[in-house]
Amino acid sequence: MQHLIAIIRLARQTPSLFLLLAAFALFPIYTHIADLPFWNDMAMRIMLLGMAAMGLNLVLGFGGMVSFGHAAFVGIGAYCVGISQFYGIDNGWLHLGLALLICGGLGLVIGFLALRTSGIYFIMITLAFAQMLFFFFVSLEAFGGDDGMSTERANFIFIDLWEPLRLYYLIWAFLFTTAFLLMLIINSRFGIVLRGIKDNQSRIEAMGLSPLAYKITAYVVSAMICGLAGALFASWQEYVSPDIMHWSRSGELMIIIVLGGLTYLAGPLLGAIVFFLLEEFLPEILHVIAPDYTENWMIIFGPILIAVVLFARGGVMGMGMRLRDMAKNLGVKK
Amino acid sequence: MTITLLLEQIFNGIQSGVTLFLVAAGLTLILGIMDFVFLAHGAQVMIGAYAATAITAATGNFYLGILLAIPVTFLSGYVLEFLIIRHLYRRDHMEQVLATFGLILFFNELIRISFGPAALFSNLPSSLSGFVHILPDAPYPTYRIMVIAIGFAIAVGIHLLVSRTRMGAMVRAGANNPDMTAALGVNIRLLRRLIFSIGACLAGVAGMLLAPLTSVEPGMGEPLLILSLVVIIIGGIGSVRGAFIAALVIGLIDTMGRVLLPELLRSFMDQATADGAGPALASMMVYIVMALVLVFKPTGLFPPRG
Repeated sequence: MQHLIAIIRLARQTPSLFLLLAAFALFPIYTHIADLPFWNDMAMRIMLLGMAAMGLNLVLGFGGMVSFGHAAFVGIGAYCVGISQFYGIDNGWLHLGLALLICGGLGLVIGFLALRTSGIYFIMITLAFAQMLFFFFVSLEAFGGDDGMSTERANFIFIDLWEPLRLYYLIWAFLFTTAFLLMLIINSRFGIVLRGIKDNQSRIEAMGLSPLAYKITAYVVSAMICGLAGALFASWQEYVSPDIMHWSRSGELMIIIVLGGLTYLAGPLLGAIVFFLLEEFLPEILHVIAPDYTENWMIIFGPILIAVVLFARGGVMGMGMRLRDMAKNLGVKK
Repeated sequence: MTITLLLEQIFNGIQSGVTLFLVAAGLTLILGIMDFVFLAHGAQVMIGAYAATAITAATGNFYLGILLAIPVTFLSGYVLEFLIIRHLYRRDHMEQVLATFGLILFFNELIRISFGPAALFSNLPSSLSGFVHILPDAPYPTYRIMVIAIGFAIAVGIHLLVSRTRMGAMVRAGANNPDMTAALGVNIRLLRRLIFSIGACLAGVAGMLLAPLTSVEPGMGEPLLILSLVVIIIGGIGSVRGAFIAALVIGLIDTMGRVLLPELLRSFMDQATADGAGPALASMMVYIVMALVLVFKPTGLFPPRG
């Protein structure tokens, strides 16, 4: 009972996260009324991107480790499904277990090697490992090589994913679980030490703790979350290719986190929504003001990214917090 | 595998090595002196290639194309530093990664709008499209020889600039301790802008030299950027000498691997698998080398001397 109260208290500290999750849970009702079933598909993509970005944010936002290769774990998770199905294993739970196991193992090895370095070297070595894995899958001709392979919606016993909305709520449930677990992790003793390492590693060392063990653990957990998102991604997209682990995808995950707001639990999920909206509506806007350049929406997206970095620190969440503080101050003055 | 073919591949490796060095030389100083993660360096390669190709097409003279493209790339670097980059030096690495990632998207799209999404091809003047006999029975394209020669000449020039001139001393001091250098009265802001512009110019020259050898298209600099980051890490961030040695090593490994690995694999697998796995394994090899270097010497093979 005491634990339950503590958890509820924690949840009340991150209202934006649970509001977003609730919105995703209710979204299909809206698409049903508005008759826009296509948007369910998009919402699933946002949830999966958000889940992967949440995984990355554990090391990036809370641990201060700039990993430039997390798309590789998403890709491995997706390939776990594809390759299992290739060999006739179609149990979805088995796929997820496999993805968690392999991404965890890989995360352990890569984390152990990469975390010997820091700063620019860490960014580059994580990029190098991701490139290595990328070219490994490009070379796997048996599994489609460059062209990728088609996958099927995995067979989750008791849950028939071909029924409408089953995949949606399966993804939602995993997203909720991930977010909930991350909330517990961030606020646990482990999470406090991790955030302490980000702020001042020497101080944590002086307290007699070993930062490396905490960092590696965080790295493994984040790799596993990305793998889970990737495995679900294979069911959603029904197709997997090395493109999913291209270095620019790792960049995309970072963009999502920064758009939403680093150091906020809800940041990655919010960032995924913003990212998707930009991707979807910038071409629309261009179509209206400059119809010839509809395809070239990146020319606006690039500068937006630069502007967010230069001027909007803390992303959307940060702006929201500042607005809230401003509103509070106004209230006091009254 | 005949000696002729092997020799040709060694030359190809050196040629790709020196072009890699041109990209890496400026970037290693940007990373080392400014502690700045600049991912849009590949865009400078692209700008150089497009500038040279467009000017060559307009004037009909290949040499004039390159000659006029050099100031274009220098200026593009100068303006970019002035407008965007200098505001990012004090930001953390991740913000630099993202902002320069945004620059990549912007430049790729700008080029796509200006020149269209299709690849451009440029022809060599007849004086350069011939062959030189490196061995009596081993002809080798004159142009590639020229690229190698120019690359080595620039490498020597940069070496002299960094090790013999006053500006070079400032650069080395800046790489070692920027704050102390600034405190000693060196105008570090100007130094940074110059290094940035020269680096952009060198990357642009790499693009110009590669333009007739590859297809000139949006995003053409990105594979080169990633490889030159590998070069920089292996050579040690901030070390021009390290970048030169590492660039040649990586160029040779990458090129030779692509030829020799399938051959090697074919000796114990069937041909189809070997042909498929070989090139990809070769491109993995570069990263394996880098990971090994980082594991055993986390600051690279030739860290700048203090």
